Amino acid sequence: MALPLHARHAMLGSVSGKHRSPVRGSALEFAQYRKYVPGDDTRRLDWRTWGRSDRFYIKQFEADTNLRLCLLMDTSGSMDFGPSGATRFDYARKLAGALGYFAAEQGDAVGLWSLGSLGSLARSKPVEIPARRGPAHLGQVLDSLADLRPDGGTTLLAALHEAAEKIRQRALVIIFSDFFVPPSDLKSAFQHLRFRKHDVAAFHLLDQRELDFDFDRPARFLDMEGGDAVLADPSLIARNYREAVRRYIVELDEVVRTTGVDYMRVRLQEPYDEVLARFLLARIPNHTAAR
Amino acid sequence: MTFLQPALLMALPVAALPVVIHLIHLYRRRQIKWAAMIFLRSAQQMNKGLSRLRQVLILVLRVLAVAAIILVVGRPLAGGWLGLTGGAPDTVLILLDRSAGMEQKDLATGVSKRLAGLRNLAKAINDTTGSRSHLVLIDSALGKPLALDRADALLDVPQTEPTDTAADIPALLQAALDYITANKTGRTDVWLLSDLHQSNWDPAGGRWQTLRSAFALLQGVRFHLLCYPQPAQGDLAVAVDRVTRRETGDKAELLLDLRISRHEANPEPLDVPLHFVVNGISTTAKVTLKENQLVLQGYSIPIDTATKRGWGRVELPADAFPANNVFYFVFDDPPPLHSVIVSDDEAQSGPLKAALSAAADPSRKYIATVLGVSHAAEIPWPETALIVWQAPLPKPGDPIARQFHEHVAAGRTILFLPSESPDNATLFGMSWQGWKSADPGKPATPDWWRNDTGLLANTRDGAALPVGLLEVSRYCPIAGEGTPLARIAGNQSLLMRSAEDRTGGAAYFLGALPDPGSSSLARDGVVMFALLHRALNEGAGTLGKARQAFASASALGADPSLWHPAEQRPDAPTPESLPLRAGVVASGDRLIALNRPAAEDLPQTVSNPTLNDLFAGLDFRILTGTLEDTRSLTNEVWRTFLVCMSLAILGEALLCLPPRRATAAATSWPAKEPA
Repeated sequence: MALPLHARHAMLGSVSGKHRSPVRGSALEFAQYRKYVPGDDTRRLDWRTWGRSDRFYIKQFEADTNLRLCLLMDTSGSMDFGPSGATRFDYARKLAGALGYFAAEQGDAVGLWSLGSLGSLARSKPVEIPARRGPAHLGQVLDSLADLRPDGGTTLLAALHEAAEKIRQRALVIIFSDFFVPPSDLKSAFQHLRFRKHDVAAFHLLDQRELDFDFDRPARFLDMEGGDAVLADPSLIARNYREAVRRYIVELDEVVRTTGVDYMRVRLQEPYDEVLARFLLARIPNHTAAR
Repeated sequence: MTFLQPALLMALPVAALPVVIHLIHLYRRRQIKWAAMIFLRSAQQMNKGLSRLRQVLILVLRVLAVAAIILVVGRPLAGGWLGLTGGAPDTVLILLDRSAGMEQKDLATGVSKRLAGLRNLAKAINDTTGSRSHLVLIDSALGKPLALDRADALLDVPQTEPTDTAADIPALLQAALDYITANKTGRTDVWLLSDLHQSNWDPAGGRWQTLRSAFALLQGVRFHLLCYPQPAQGDLAVAVDRVTRRETGDKAELLLDLRISRHEANPEPLDVPLHFVVNGISTTAKVTLKENQLVLQGYSIPIDTATKRGWGRVELPADAFPANNVFYFVFDDPPPLHSVIVSDDEAQSGPLKAALSAAADPSRKYIATVLGVSHAAEIPWPETALIVWQAPLPKPGDPIARQFHEHVAAGRTILFLPSESPDNATLFGMSWQGWKSADPGKPATPDWWRNDTGLLANTRDGAALPVGLLEVSRYCPIAGEGTPLARIAGNQSLLMRSAEDRTGGAAYFLGALPDPGSSSLARDGVVMFALLHRALNEGAGTLGKARQAFASASALGADPSLWHPAEQRPDAPTPESLPLRAGVVASGDRLIALNRPAAEDLPQTVSNPTLNDLFAGLDFRILTGTLEDTRSLTNEVWRTFLVCMSLAILGEALLCLPPRRATAAATSWPAKEPA
């Protein structure tokens, strides 16, 4: 059985599903009792049955509600970093596709948003597919995902704010990006999404070469997002480069901690299935406590 | 700085090669598509100042290294003392002080100041200007420009040989000025090689101002004063002030007035052996020098009674200044002191004759002759020491005027007195301004007179002449360029010496007459007697068949070839240099003892501040050398450049060393687990 995709916050679904809902209504139907095993949520113990039989039973319901999964893909030029066929965007596409598939399989709605690129050279049009349920819709999402091409300068921050406004109902928003923007600027975008009651998760995709900056000769570094090229001698600036990375990471960690974003830093050299498994496992309720 | 291979400096632009290569590499660097520009730009920003500085330093050091290689190949010469910059001048004018003081030697090497300076100068000129500049030598002894084809000739030509003369440095500079002006020498470097002897430089003289003004008007004239003012340590000098032959009974002797001197701060008694040679016969005596000077009056040397005339010398042991260790003298029966008074006024000629006939020295014979103006042609010129001319000045073209000049050039003396009706004729650059009378009953007295030297100087025992007591009822002021010896009635010249014919005798102008109606000169007598006899003695120096003279180009008259050394020596001077060297020379029955001027024995030199004053406003530099200093004026300094190049390469290598590589662990963190 595949690992389920859980929301960490209560979802407002239109149909019954596997996710906790903030409301109690007719959609909540009793299913069966089962014996309590350690680790079960004690809030679901049926105290009346315990009073009658002096045994612990869990009162199971058919479902809570469904969730809306919004996949936000950064399509700026920097996502094209890496060897052909194994770029950062390819990696993100695999993660997003898999998560969309998992969500659809468990009856959740899936939507896709491209965090648009800037500039006239952008090769793909912006994509905004609202979250819907059904295999046909999943097919549309996957097709669109396959058609997306990273290109041009980044508009990540503006696109995140725009997405926060446009995704009206509570949703699980998963962002796939390299986040090459100042963390302090990113903070307001994350806060905006959280303010709209979204469950926000972020896959921060980095290449090991971007972390090490391990070059031996001076070179002209061409900005993949169309900015000015930089002439640099790595032997002179590598130390400062790594210091800049370190500061950025520290600052970003602080931003995600304060905004409550489910942040996952991923190196492109890691197998993506392991990354997925780690992500899904971590989202299983009480997973950390059980371990 | 100059270079022995200046053509190679054309390659200096090659020094920019590292910059060119750097620029080429800059635009040919490999290109890398990069996403994390945010970190790259941040790192660049952090590294901006240091990185830029380092890069610039590396480039500068590379350029310096290449430039140093080119300069090394060009064989650079350090100006050192010279400051030889700006390429070769059009003309190099070498002014050589050939005074006796320049013969001071380094006892270890035997090299004199003159030779050391010439060697240094020749090498410096060879190394720097080579044959690119026109070389001209003017020496102080002859004062004539001599073109040289190469700098090494400085060591070969007779015009740089040693002399025992004095040097007239202002005259030397005047000769240089005349040469530069006459020949339009273009950019000129004037090298003046001298020992800075104060008597030769005459820093208080009035000619310096004129020279400064004239040189200041010339463009592109630079002075290099190559000076050797170093005094001679432990130097002893000997001089003979007077030689008298005395015969008493059947004995004859020479009486010498000797002066032995030294210049020590703390003199200690010193036994000095004196070596006398008289007519080839040597004797030695020992004297003790207790202070800085020992004067021996009437030192007796017995001679044969048959020896009426002859020559000799006094010698001291050798020291660092050999030129003043010997002094030559000659002796003969003293000639009569013959003076001629030319005047038509007996009131004037009478007192003059009386004074000049009186024997100031009982051992000498005095003859004074009075001639009328119309009989002036009868003046016995060869045996006349002093002519007193109380008559109108002759016109410059008159034969008598030419004879006056020849008389003075021969070392004799003329004293001009005003006639009753003086005209505006000029002789020896002087003229009479017309009679002026003092207030009736209140005769004028001299306001000022020169008491250190000249005809009115103090007596030997230091007592002043009673010049201030003279009463002058009428006087005739003197106009013209000369040395004032006395002034009256404010700034009116009463007694002057003409500035012309400095090297020969003297022409004096006295603006007062001795008759009682004019002045108290005859009545009081003392001043007139001293004045006339001093003038007579001055002119008598060249009388007789044996006399003393200072070595100089004019010491033997217009034709030195008539003279020959009295003593055959291995280093006999050439006829041209004969009057310039100390020694005894003979011509027929005449003898002359030539010696260095007494002032050459004095140690005083011109200080650097004084030099700065003398050359104020001119482009000059002072290069002070010593005899022990064997460094060349120029040095090849390629080693310095080689060291610079090595340092530049080393520095470049250090700057190019890659910084210590930070471990990758600094940024390889475990992927963050979702919270």
